[in-house]
Amino acid sequence: MINAPTHASLAEVTAIDTRGRGPLLLLLVAAVAWLVLSGILALIASIQLHSPAFLAEYSWLTHGRTQALRETAFVYGWAANAGLAIGLWILARLGGSSLRALNWTIMGTLFWNLGVAAGLVGIATGDMTSFALLQLPRYVQPLLLVAYAAIAIPGVLAWSGRRMNRTYASQWYIIAALFLLPWLLIAVQSMLFWAPVRGTLQAVAAGWYAQGTWTLWLAPLALAGAYYVVPKVTGRVLPSYEFAPLAFWTLIVIGAWTGGRHLIGGPVPAWIATVAVVASVMVLFHHVVLWLNLRVVFSGTGNAIVFMRFGFVAYLASGVLAAFTAFRGIAAFAQFTFMTPALEMLGLYGAISMFFFGSIYFMMPRLTGQPWASGALVVGHRWLVMLGIAAGIVALVVAGWIQGAALLDPDLAIDAVLERVKPALLASTAAHLILLGANLLLFVNVLQSAWAGCRANLPAGTPFRQPATLEATAS
Amino acid sequence: MKNAPLFFLGLLGAVTFSWAGLVLGSHAQLGKLGPYFDEAESLSFPQPVSGLAARGERVYADLGCAACHTQQVRRPGYGSDQERGWGDRQSVARDYIFRGRPLLGDARIGPDLANLAGRKAGAPKQEELLRFLYLGSKTHAPYRFLFESREIVGQRSIHALEFPDAMMTAPGHEIVPTERARTLAAYLLSLNQSHVYPEARPVPREEPATEAAPAAAEKAGKAEEKP
Amino acid sequence: MNNAPENRDPRIDQAAVTDESLLLAHEKFLGKQPDEKARYRLLPLNLLFVFSGLIFFGATYLGRYSGHFDPKVFDETAPRGAAAAAAAPVDPVAMGRTVYTTVCAACHQATGQGLPPAFPPLAGSEWVNGSEERVIRIVLHGLSGPIKVAGTDYNSVMPAAGPGSGFNLSPEKIAAVLTYVRQEWGNSAPPVSVEKVREVQGQVGSRGPWTAAELEPFAQ
Repeated sequence: MINAPTHASLAEVTAIDTRGRGPLLLLLVAAVAWLVLSGILALIASIQLHSPAFLAEYSWLTHGRTQALRETAFVYGWAANAGLAIGLWILARLGGSSLRALNWTIMGTLFWNLGVAAGLVGIATGDMTSFALLQLPRYVQPLLLVAYAAIAIPGVLAWSGRRMNRTYASQWYIIAALFLLPWLLIAVQSMLFWAPVRGTLQAVAAGWYAQGTWTLWLAPLALAGAYYVVPKVTGRVLPSYEFAPLAFWTLIVIGAWTGGRHLIGGPVPAWIATVAVVASVMVLFHHVVLWLNLRVVFSGTGNAIVFMRFGFVAYLASGVLAAFTAFRGIAAFAQFTFMTPALEMLGLYGAISMFFFGSIYFMMPRLTGQPWASGALVVGHRWLVMLGIAAGIVALVVAGWIQGAALLDPDLAIDAVLERVKPALLASTAAHLILLGANLLLFVNVLQSAWAGCRANLPAGTPFRQPATLEATAS
Repeated sequence: MKNAPLFFLGLLGAVTFSWAGLVLGSHAQLGKLGPYFDEAESLSFPQPVSGLAARGERVYADLGCAACHTQQVRRPGYGSDQERGWGDRQSVARDYIFRGRPLLGDARIGPDLANLAGRKAGAPKQEELLRFLYLGSKTHAPYRFLFESREIVGQRSIHALEFPDAMMTAPGHEIVPTERARTLAAYLLSLNQSHVYPEARPVPREEPATEAAPAAAEKAGKAEEKP
Repeated sequence: MNNAPENRDPRIDQAAVTDESLLLAHEKFLGKQPDEKARYRLLPLNLLFVFSGLIFFGATYLGRYSGHFDPKVFDETAPRGAAAAAAAPVDPVAMGRTVYTTVCAACHQATGQGLPPAFPPLAGSEWVNGSEERVIRIVLHGLSGPIKVAGTDYNSVMPAAGPGSGFNLSPEKIAAVLTYVRQEWGNSAPPVSVEKVREVQGQVGSRGPWTAAELEPFAQ
């Protein structure tokens, strides 16, 4: 069913999409390439957990370094590139005009990815910082800061030059993410590297930053995609949308306060962990409103909706579990066990990445002007990635449970603890293998689609249907 | 949106608020925390870190040891940290004031190292540590790249590792720890939290706690009977 | 009222609505007065309950387990002032033991039994357990010449240990070490206060070692 667009703004694919095609595809391809690399590193790190001698002769692949490499490639490689691509695109679309100053984005993308690559080499050769989510060597961080600003310029222009004064939840979230990450980075860099604070205060600052990257940067970018794609595909007004600002501000204001969560029982004043517990519970208000808004995701159909649905459930679950495991009684058991990577996987993979996947599946055909190259690869990726994430989380939760119980018994030597966890760790390796396979499928599909999209202008007969007008009816 | 400046102010305010409260707040409280002078011993604690150990800290950080080892002993009630002999008291902020980069860690795939050199039972010697790093174990990777195998010319190096089994080394060769390995060992052997600061003492309990103590002992006794 | 197109093709997700109408339809809900329509009333009330519940929980929890925002409280259940209580002054006996081991034990021995014929015992000694005026002077300025302790004669020189001497012990440490020896090895004399040591030090000033005869007036 092909409709010739009668009015420019009513057509599904317009110049807004074709103008941004090059830079956004560049960001996307880079993102998925990092995702695959991070998958390989995750597999190595996972094998090293149950077979410590694996690749032990290479100093650049000690377990600590592969962990740091995996995490960095995932967050600063995959999530950053993908999130920025989605963010810029949604800002342009909701702003109603094409992205401008895209040369900045191209340069920024090149330098950002160069910086991440240099950072990974730095980590492998011994310059990692040992702070979670901030492992990049200090010398690439200023470069990343500048590159990030360059990438974000068209986004800011799209926001300030939007054709309608109206704004939508997606825009708030993206602008917040674009605006806040540089502040987080500057603040934490100055306190950790340029003028380091004393002793365990470094752990407090690093914890604040790590939580900030999650609540003030990645989660907003992911939620922006969900807020955009869900009503677009389901064709329904989000229920209780009048409370969306509440959800937004709760996340922004309270989110970063949960930074002291991992320091519970540690050598920092007791109030830091207590404040984190309170903040983890208070931020559940954000999750309640989000549930009210986005529950229409369960009534939609289609590929992107399946990803969004998975991500939504994982996002809510990670919020509830984060609050639950923050309490001292639970933390005493779960702290320092595989529960922590399990929760990280639920948050970063299950929630953030699944939201990103959903947005990418929706965005890519509109950038290239044609459907994805292969439907089989789409379906294959969908099932494998859901299977891999679910299996990985379950394996790590089981491992964490066994490890937590075993660590409580002082007569059980630490070697024996690892021995007990081994079967679960083997399962987690299998999950990482599945995830790597899944993401390879995505990589091939993205490359093929991007290649096809770069060669062709918009084909004469577009496969997109004419979208209807959304009636503002209360639900 | 009619009030874009307000929106940006709100964003900036939110991030500054959490930063000021959490990071600056604790910095105001502990940023100038100094060592504790113990009158009884006429020494101040923690003891300054030697240059060799400070360099070893960077080796510890860049190898990513913190991915598997924590450096924080928690108080009783949080796991079995103290029963395992990892330390006799909980770690406090003062323990880390001389550390260039405190590596608290967040996973215990290996044992806690906060008080490695101060352990009452089984504080390792440098020679043992280096041998362990070279050989590895069933649960620890061998870090051979921290050592070099050298042909013995003249006298053996004073740093060469001794092995119970001579077959471990090629004939006429010796295993010598590199400078990195030796600084790492010096760092590990500088990890000592055996001095008890006033704030590290268990909080004095009210009366009900002392009443509960015999009950807990009774419970423990019962648990012992069980097996 | 689902006007979404069927999305059967995994290769493309059809959009149901335009961006413009998405903005317009949602903008209408923002800034709307909650009581404008009756049906909006229930939900804010529910949310209000949730929100106040969370605030109430947060405030209670924070009040209870914040450790009073004290930087030196690491145990959130600590009662107020616990940090100050834990920071009580050093135990003079423990401090005295350290001083004794480093300064005194070489001659008087760790057991306090001394080493005849030069070094008299401290355990059961009438000089140690007797007048504090006398024993403070001995430690401050030293003692030389013959002395009879517990019926046995000794003759040697004890160096001064007070401020300005080779050992340069502060009044606090002298008080601590005397308190320690006066209750160790079966001795049971009352502790010596820092003020008393300061007082004696002020009275006497600096001088050479005492002899047993010179100390006779201070025996009481």
